Amino acid sequence: MVAGQEVVRFLFQRIALGALVIVFASALTFFFVNLAPGGPASVMRFDVTAEQREALIKRMGLDKPVTQRYVEWVAGAVRGDFGTSLLTDEPVAQRISERLPNTLTLAGAALLLSITLGIPIGLIQALRRGSALDHFLSFFSAIGLAVPVFWLGIVLILVFAVSLRVLPSAGLTAIGDDTVLERIRHLILPTVVLATTILPTIVRFMRSAAIEVLQEDFIRTAQSKGLAPRVVVTRHVLRNALIPVVSAIGALVPRLLGGTVVTESVFNLPGMGRLALDAAVGRDYPLVIGLTVVGAMIAVATTVIVDIAYTRIDPRVRLA
Amino acid sequence: MRLGLSSFLFRTTAAFVVAALAVSACASPTAPGVSTAPSAAAGPVSGGTVTIPIGADPTLNPWSPNAFVESLFINRVIFDGITKPGKDLAPAPDLAESWTTAADGLSWTFKLRSGVKWSDGQPFTADDVAFTFNDVVLKPDLGAQNRASYAAVKSVTVVDPTTVRFDLSRKFAALPSFLAYNAGILPKHVLTADPLKTTTFNKGTPVSTGPFKVDKYTSGQSVSLVRNENYFGPKPYLDKLVFTVVADPNTQVAQALSGDLQIMILDNKAAVDRVKSAAGLAVVARPLVQYYWLSLNQTDTRFTDVRVRQAFVYAIDRAAIIKNVELGYGSIANSPITPALAAYYDPSLASKYPYDPAKATELLKAAGWTPGANGVLQKDGKPFQFTMDVGQRGVLEPVNALIQQDLKKVGVVVDLNTMEWNSYIQKDVVRREYTATVNWWTYPSDPDVFPYYHSSAAGKGFNIPGYQDAKLDDLLVQGQSTSDLEARKAVYKQLQQYTSEVLPYLFLWYPQEIDVLSTSLQGVPELGLRDAMHYAGEWWLAKK
Repeated sequence: MVAGQEVVRFLFQRIALGALVIVFASALTFFFVNLAPGGPASVMRFDVTAEQREALIKRMGLDKPVTQRYVEWVAGAVRGDFGTSLLTDEPVAQRISERLPNTLTLAGAALLLSITLGIPIGLIQALRRGSALDHFLSFFSAIGLAVPVFWLGIVLILVFAVSLRVLPSAGLTAIGDDTVLERIRHLILPTVVLATTILPTIVRFMRSAAIEVLQEDFIRTAQSKGLAPRVVVTRHVLRNALIPVVSAIGALVPRLLGGTVVTESVFNLPGMGRLALDAAVGRDYPLVIGLTVVGAMIAVATTVIVDIAYTRIDPRVRLA
Repeated sequence: MRLGLSSFLFRTTAAFVVAALAVSACASPTAPGVSTAPSAAAGPVSGGTVTIPIGADPTLNPWSPNAFVESLFINRVIFDGITKPGKDLAPAPDLAESWTTAADGLSWTFKLRSGVKWSDGQPFTADDVAFTFNDVVLKPDLGAQNRASYAAVKSVTVVDPTTVRFDLSRKFAALPSFLAYNAGILPKHVLTADPLKTTTFNKGTPVSTGPFKVDKYTSGQSVSLVRNENYFGPKPYLDKLVFTVVADPNTQVAQALSGDLQIMILDNKAAVDRVKSAAGLAVVARPLVQYYWLSLNQTDTRFTDVRVRQAFVYAIDRAAIIKNVELGYGSIANSPITPALAAYYDPSLASKYPYDPAKATELLKAAGWTPGANGVLQKDGKPFQFTMDVGQRGVLEPVNALIQQDLKKVGVVVDLNTMEWNSYIQKDVVRREYTATVNWWTYPSDPDVFPYYHSSAAGKGFNIPGYQDAKLDDLLVQGQSTSDLEARKAVYKQLQQYTSEVLPYLFLWYPQEIDVLSTSLQGVPELGLRDAMHYAGEWWLAKK
């Protein structure tokens, strides 16, 4: 068991380390996006003259050196001011906070779906290793990995929204109907699509981890002790097999966030993924950096949560 | 021009979607309630909501540098200009009732409607017009969108509350047409602080004069409009006009098929057959004031020889491009004046350059380019080889591939350099570091193409090839100097003849737009959808 004090110290260390990661990520992104070819969308358009371009660059403060701009950005960021979006003139923090809940809901739902399906499926495959069911499910996993997200998204829209007309084709809510039920109806297809980006990986990890555990001596010991198969599976196989799976899930969260870019575009959801795409395409530098910082925060938080989860699953692991 | 889902996604998805749409066509039940076209004979009725897709969040200020193409749709409904494009595309009254030019052509006077009110009930006056131009458009440090169109305007003077005068530094006959093109008038009493960056206006509920006003702006989702009770004109038929943000063109198609959209531009032309077969949807082709061109940088001496430019036009099978890439929705271009400008367009030029590789070879030979050992043309021992930059947008990639093949057939080697759009603009337009590139121009509904062709615009303005020609300059100035329709027709006929001969740009084709409409939607004029937005107050939904 872990002492409370130990957890506090661990969290403190992790947060300090996480802050360093975030600072590093912001600096790297700041310089790279500014070095990237192109410029803000208002300037990089066909129907803008050289004179207009010059005026706009000046108005956006992009005529100042990059290092000076970074120092100014950091000075603002520590006070909670992440700058102004070049595309809309709105505060970056406002634009992100408008979109963040939608992405967290979608990614959370997809993660939940993947875990609740992935772990039992992987376990069943391991227990029935080599059976027809195992092959059938492996085949499905392979398809899930191979199918592009946008392809699946469009197919599901065509089947469920256009042909069967049972689910909405896109959007967050129906126009003028912002009830919880409508929101859930709108979330079903995107959640399924986004889950396919990580579900097959979770299944595969679970399957191979469980197979490995099943070959361990202590499983044979447990079985020969006369423990009920149900107890062996839940208390020994599942618990031990979950250790690598949990760390895999931690590593899959960034992939999940990446998947939101396409999913949100296909299903027309106003989330961070689509915002990131617009920001990158339109060279909205402050917004790109703001989104990077938020993304880095989510990644850092995930690793902390995974580390803590470890200790709950595997008593041998201690926070240090 | 708009931003959106990367064209990578678009391209890779488009091919698939055609197949998937075909499959779903077999399974699709008949759309409920739209089995037969409702009768329009009953006459207009009030009520209903029309939903239109747009590619991204709009900026509700026509002069904002961030007002991209998705913003046009709404801005043309909520804001009135001094003029608007008529149903024949000639300038028609909007906030102005009439206009005249001074005898010396150096000013235009507009008589404004009286009794017009803003959507917040405040009176609209000549001061708003003067504010929009003097304090927004003509202020160089604001970098207002479209300000280059008003280079000839010195200032706007309020003569009396319903009269304004535009004072010019040179003659500018096309001013009433330009004022019909994304030139909405802004409310002075609302936008005092920073007229282009007031987010409660641009991204909220702007005060406007048009038939509809913004009711609600939901970022990333939709903008809904309701009737503007203070509108000066006839009361609009529709209760609501909703613009829904749908970035992906394939999702737009799916939404139209499921009956969620009532009118849209079909960007993905490959889906046209599927949409045509859907019950309750009509597909129409509309003219555009737009043409595609190939620009050959005139700083490259190989391209200053007119025979080379003409040879390229003979060598490029433009009919094949229209057939394969535009699925037939377009016609061959040989000048910058499009068929949509019916009063000016010269149809006799349509057959000027038939596809004729032999003729191309002959002209290239006359210019000193002869076949080398490997079939590649050579001159002074150097092969005829160059790079075309390709921006990833719309149909540009397949078009460039076809041009590459066509030029190869006459011994010219083209390397394609495909670039992400934003980087492409920086390289080819801002820096002009390019040899050849394909793109298009859309312009106000007037044949005054001065900004794209005049020598003064070479290298930094919109004269992308950097072509400079005293005779062409003279024709462009002549066209701006007379307001008499017959005289202008004569000048622009000459201009079409001349440009088709000297080819400042290599003209490719005039595209048509495919619009998809719900069969119950009536009263939409036969214009491209962006122009038809000016008439949203006349649209109505037949009762089912």
